[in-house]
Amino acid sequence: MAIISRRGKERLIKYICFLATAVAVIPLLWIIGEVVVNGVSAINLEFLTSLPAPFGESGGGIGNAILGTMIINAMACLFGIPVGILTGMYLSEYDRISRLGAVVRTVVESLSGVPSIIFGIFAYSLIVLTIRHYTAIAAAFALGLMMIPLIAKATEESMRVVSNDIGEAATALGIPKWIRTTKIVLSIAKGGVLTGCLLAFARISGETAPLLFTSLFSFFWPTGIDQPMASLQVLIYNYAMSGFENWILKAWGASLLLVIIVVSINVLVRHLTKPKYKAGV
Amino acid sequence: MTMTNNTKLDIRNLNAWFYEKPALKNVNVKIPDKMVTAVIGPSGCGKSTFVRCINRMHELVPGAKVSGKVLLDGVDVYGGMDVMDVRRKIGMVFQKPNPFPNMSVADNVVAGLKLVGTHSKKELAELAEERLKSVGLWDEVKDELKKSGASLSGGQQQRLCIARALAMNPEVILMDEPTSALDPASTAKLEELVKKLKNEISVIIITHNVSQAARVSDYTAFFYLGELVEFDETRNIFEHPKNPLTERYITGRFG
Repeated sequence: MAIISRRGKERLIKYICFLATAVAVIPLLWIIGEVVVNGVSAINLEFLTSLPAPFGESGGGIGNAILGTMIINAMACLFGIPVGILTGMYLSEYDRISRLGAVVRTVVESLSGVPSIIFGIFAYSLIVLTIRHYTAIAAAFALGLMMIPLIAKATEESMRVVSNDIGEAATALGIPKWIRTTKIVLSIAKGGVLTGCLLAFARISGETAPLLFTSLFSFFWPTGIDQPMASLQVLIYNYAMSGFENWILKAWGASLLLVIIVVSINVLVRHLTKPKYKAGV
Repeated sequence: MTMTNNTKLDIRNLNAWFYEKPALKNVNVKIPDKMVTAVIGPSGCGKSTFVRCINRMHELVPGAKVSGKVLLDGVDVYGGMDVMDVRRKIGMVFQKPNPFPNMSVADNVVAGLKLVGTHSKKELAELAEERLKSVGLWDEVKDELKKSGASLSGGQQQRLCIARALAMNPEVILMDEPTSALDPASTAKLEELVKKLKNEISVIIITHNVSQAARVSDYTAFFYLGELVEFDETRNIFEHPKNPLTERYITGRFG
């Protein structure tokens, strides 16, 4: 019966798990390694601060794309973070059991699974087609929409845990609900909410599809949020396929910047989510 | 002990449900002023529901319904008073200590006033000190007032929660198994505190521990299957229970 001993089986399972882990981790490390190796030589002060060199010339930078990504992401946060937090607050504190709450919850969950290109097309048809030119506003709108479900879910979950435990104490003290919600429940749950915001930010920082339909690209410094605007993502998309050595190098550099942003956010989140307080005994 | 005392809470025909399932069946009882009333009974007998109907916490649970009257000094908490006032006048302490972890020890005590009212810093600091003294916590925490309320030990946290309820100047305090998460030493301290509190206010304490009811309470209410089986002076309940169910429960033959 025992072709393999029990100990052998233990070892086998352990190795299979290890192998699967390796399959998951190696490509990721490979990508990061490749990006670092190819991108690091691109990065210097000129790269970070100047406009792109004209096609065919060497030098130049991606300063406009860095600034553009910062502006677009900031506008997306301005829209996505408050709406996301308030939606999560509504689901956790104001509508736990009604049918409307269930519908909203399902919609929010489905939204987080919608492919990003759909958000791009939506913003395109709603804004770009209306004002008849590409604009950073549409990009921020698309990215902001993508942030909402992620932030709403994180907010709802972290507030609900607090609310069940601690919220009752506030209610029993005769504290009105809105004060309880904002100054107690949200205040205690803020770590989880912040984590949700950061992860949503990391998620949209890498999205390219929604930008192709909305902010498109520009070889110049941003002139206004109603205008097309350069971004790191679209720059990578354009330059990587240009077949032109200087631009390909710039695309590697931009990729490295994006990877650094996303990895740092994730490290920050891991640091923030270390539990600090324990309520009760 | 005497039977001639004032009624603080007059509870009439109190019924409660979770959806269609009855949780309390026609409870009538007069809770005396400035006494400790223990509420005992097996799990699921309606003790918690009964107590949570008094400060209108029951109605917050999904599917919960209530009917009947709860008269606080003759005024019905269902109808005659603003619900926030009800909860300020009838404080509550929970099974699991639940100080606000985002506030300091001192801020926890006065949280109810600080977040709502317009009290000066000095008033709040004085009140915090006074209430921490009333629960016997001042000497233990006076050097840690700025620390998080969640940094205290379980027993200290529970006394902090009592101080927090007392800061609202309640007339009644409800305690839902306040010692079930505490060690014996903390339990003993809390029981002493309960006995002291009745000099000022009425205390209603739910307990799973029959001997705790005997130790701390003047009156005892025994619930079974949503009904108030017996209510009497604690001494009578323990020495001469009128209902055989009560006797079986307090002697540990079921529950």
